[in-house]
Amino acid sequence: MRFKPLHLKLLRDLGRMKGQTLAVSLVMACGLAMMIMARSLIYSLETTRDTYYQENRFGDVFADLKRAPNFLRQRLATISDVAAVETRVIGRLTLDLPGLNEPADGVVISLPDDRPQQLNRLFLRRGRFPEPGRRGEVVVGEAFAEVHGFGPDNQISALLRGRRETLTIVGIALSPEYVFEARPGETLPDNKRFGVFWMNERELATALDLDGAFNNVVVDVAPGGDTLAVIAALDDRLANYGALGAISRRDHPSAVRLNDELAVLRTLAVAFPLVFLSIAAFMASAVLSRLVRLQREQIAQLKAFGYSARQVGAHYFQFALVIVAIGTLAGGLGGFWIGGNVVNIYHRFFRFPSLVFHPDLSAIFLAFVVSAGASFLGVYGSVRQAMRLPPAEAMRPEPPASYRPSLVERLGWSRWLTPTLRMALRNIERRPWQAFFTALGLALAAGIPIVPCAFREGIEYLLGFQWDVAQRQHVTVSLFEPASATAAASIAHLPGVLLAEPYRAVPARIRFGNHSRRLEVTGFSREATLRRVLDARERSIPLPPDGLLVSAKLAELLGAEAGDVVSLEIQEGNRPRRNAVIRGLITDYAGIFAYMDKESLHRLMREGPTVSGAYLWLDPERWLDFLKEVKNTPRIAAMMIKNTVRESFRKTTAETINLVQSLYFSFSVVVAFGVVYNSARIALSERSRDLATLRVIGFSTWEVAGVLVTELVLLTLVAIPFGLLLGSGLAAGIVATASTESVRLPLRLTSQMYATAVFIVLSAATVSFAIVSWRIRELDLVGALKAPE
Amino acid sequence: MIPGHASPTEAPATAKRLVYCARGLTKVYRTGEVEVRALAGVDLDLHEGQLVVLLGASGSGKSTLLNILGGLDIPSSGSLHYHDTELTHSDEAFLTRFRRDSVGFVFQFYNLIPSLTARENVSLITDISVNPIAPEEALALVGLQDRMDHFPSQLSGGEQQRVAIARAIAKQPEVLLCDEPTGALDVRTGVQVLSAIQRVNQELGTLTLLITHNAVLAKMADRVIHVSDGQITHIETNAHRLPVSELSW
Ligand SMILES: Nc1ncnc2c1ncn2[C@@H]1O[C@H](COP(=O)(O)OP(=O)(O)OP(=O)(O)O)[C@@H](O)[C@H]1O
Ligand SMILES: [Mg+2]
Repeated sequence: MRFKPLHLKLLRDLGRMKGQTLAVSLVMACGLAMMIMARSLIYSLETTRDTYYQENRFGDVFADLKRAPNFLRQRLATISDVAAVETRVIGRLTLDLPGLNEPADGVVISLPDDRPQQLNRLFLRRGRFPEPGRRGEVVVGEAFAEVHGFGPDNQISALLRGRRETLTIVGIALSPEYVFEARPGETLPDNKRFGVFWMNERELATALDLDGAFNNVVVDVAPGGDTLAVIAALDDRLANYGALGAISRRDHPSAVRLNDELAVLRTLAVAFPLVFLSIAAFMASAVLSRLVRLQREQIAQLKAFGYSARQVGAHYFQFALVIVAIGTLAGGLGGFWIGGNVVNIYHRFFRFPSLVFHPDLSAIFLAFVVSAGASFLGVYGSVRQAMRLPPAEAMRPEPPASYRPSLVERLGWSRWLTPTLRMALRNIERRPWQAFFTALGLALAAGIPIVPCAFREGIEYLLGFQWDVAQRQHVTVSLFEPASATAAASIAHLPGVLLAEPYRAVPARIRFGNHSRRLEVTGFSREATLRRVLDARERSIPLPPDGLLVSAKLAELLGAEAGDVVSLEIQEGNRPRRNAVIRGLITDYAGIFAYMDKESLHRLMREGPTVSGAYLWLDPERWLDFLKEVKNTPRIAAMMIKNTVRESFRKTTAETINLVQSLYFSFSVVVAFGVVYNSARIALSERSRDLATLRVIGFSTWEVAGVLVTELVLLTLVAIPFGLLLGSGLAAGIVATASTESVRLPLRLTSQMYATAVFIVLSAATVSFAIVSWRIRELDLVGALKAPE
Repeated sequence: MIPGHASPTEAPATAKRLVYCARGLTKVYRTGEVEVRALAGVDLDLHEGQLVVLLGASGSGKSTLLNILGGLDIPSSGSLHYHDTELTHSDEAFLTRFRRDSVGFVFQFYNLIPSLTARENVSLITDISVNPIAPEEALALVGLQDRMDHFPSQLSGGEQQRVAIARAIAKQPEVLLCDEPTGALDVRTGVQVLSAIQRVNQELGTLTLLITHNAVLAKMADRVIHVSDGQITHIETNAHRLPVSELSW
């Protein structure tokens, strides 16, 4: 292949500007990498999820109930639009695991032994299903098995409805209803202390006292069927069996968690590329307009030789095209690489038979189109200038650029200015847009690191807020079933318990207007000292004598405010409906809750002093005694240990945060480095003659570097405060968009974050500048005396 | 005649101090396979206060010689003394110092800093030199006392060149090196510029080297050095030099 002369010129020119080409491409690549990564992850997660849901027939509607006879299954199947019905028995168990002092808990789900599993079918990773008739055989969820290193033939001791059982693991499996293998509503999985088990229906039903009955229904709605109608029909037919109200996939805890994650990825896929691409576009614009200025005479000659304006224009557009191509390539590779790593992290949270990273090739195409569009917009002005340049005029050397005194001097402060400062100020004023975008780039670089720092700080604050200020108990124990006050007394008498504050938790659907949410209404004593509810300033809000205090997020979701009356559809006992007034809003950062004074909750429920569990303050000396005793207390369903939860939360988030932080820090470095490098190179090339002249007349290399750096230092100094502001805004925006029902990160900004950001930008800028300054040594002093090129 | 060696007609000059003493200077440029001998053995003595004109065909090596004298370039061989200092083996830092303290340059293209006014372009130098005259005084010397606060873009070519001269002499250099200072100017403007150079030479006693293609200018010099093919062919000495205004163009 023979290159056309213009292509050779393109290649050689680019070769000479490789530093800048690379700088622009890299900034572009940062945005594209995020976009390609996010889109590929969305694509990977969605396709994997959809095939998994489909192949393993994840249900569409789910309902828990107290007890219904098995023959009801047939009747449920006749509901119109219902394609398949699976009835199951589900129970909770507590586990006594070797090497784990505290008890773990789990869910155990029945596997039909007289018919094939129809819905929510297991994906068997290893081993086999329990054999019909064989006692104590279970299949275990993969995440739980993995942390404990369990495999087939391992045995586990468990308390199932108060009876100690020895379970034999025969298989390791995954289920579409536990893609997110965690307790319902939990933000992060706690695989060490929570597991999912499957065992034969007959055996489980017997153990749970549900012979010939079921307590859970999964329904597959026929394609195109009306899910809401199915839910209504189901609620209707199950009403007499203690049903808690059916939910659709949209409310299914595991599915919700996965959707939340996809929503976050979708914001990433748009917000980031937008910011980075605009900076890259302006960098490209600066590079090209300088190129056109330097190549005035070449352009004139090309035109004199007979090249058309369009050919000349196309030639300069090709520069942008090459930059875009490199950026897309680097962004694609980077995005795939980051995505490949993030998928490994996702694997820890979301369990699929195989979660493979599928590069979204259409994202690459989109990336190319978007970045090409952005940079063409950026360079359009310069290219037009090249196309319009009349040959005759261009042949003459450009007259000296016109300058005027800068604003500072016009204000009469000129005597404070050294010549170097004056040059810098006047240069900035002469090319205000170039200066503006350089500053914008630097501001962005200063802003980016704030985001991951704010995340980290937010998580720390959240943990402190939730566990040191709001919930001061060491341990929360919950009972299998609401029990009488004597149960509370027996908990208080467990060894090592110094203080026990009983609570009552009632599952309910809270409804206001068209909006409703499922939650637990929690009641505790107004005098409670361990458990408190707080406002945004960490001040304790006393529980009102009647009515509710609700999470601010809940009020927002419901569209309600203090003073509104909401209806509570209690999903316990005979499922009464009650009204309650929202007396105020409280601040919390995870989940949505409604609180009441315990006495007034009892009045609302028209019940005696029932308890669901207790908050405990323990004597650390007797910790092991306490744990041992808890393991032998059948009525305790689950126990939440503050320090363990907190540590587990920290550990699970740490990896993600570290990854996010290193990504953002790298982006910041790339942008700061790229922007400074680009501006310095442009300044160096545009003013090489001036700078060489300064060298000739006796300025040292450092003094000349000083002239070059002053302008950038000024811009950096202006940019940084704005950058910190921008970063704070960015953090606030991202925190706000990533705020879901399950977690809302508080926005915490500290001076240390700002210092980190400033440090990163200044170091990257300094290194970048040092590299450019090195070139001052190579300035052609003798050449400066000759005619301008 | 042996180039550069004092001849009897130069008697008054020898009384003055010797500034430059060059012996056997050569300069070879190598670009790939090709070797260009820009200077092929130059011996030259230059004294205080003189105005010296360098004449020669294009490519004969005038600029190369001037650049070496000014510490912008180093010779391939030979020795060059500036007073008692050997410049040939000096490092970049020393040469920078040397240019800053002792040499003033005027180029064909004025090379003013476009973002600085005339006065500021001059004070750029006076700020870093040891014994400068005031920028205003330097500009007055070249007849630009009224244009001090104008930017280069607001000045004509001749005016810009005079600013360049003011910038070169404001630090009171011992040597003023001018490479075709009027090359880009018309005759009338050229005269103004040359007058400025001559005036500086007279009033400040600066050793001045002036490269030109215009043989008429030989009359304004104390000595005229003819360069050809990298060598000095002969040196003329004028007993009386003419003021620029009296040269016949
Ligand atoms: N950097 C360089 N690389 C290679 N050759 C060079 C270089 N600089 C000068 N030369 C060569 O050295 C020789 C002398 O050049 P010089 O610039 O000194 O000539 P000059 O007498 O000043 O000419 P002019 O009157 O045209 O300015 C020329 O042949 C030139 O081509
Ligand atoms: Mg020359």
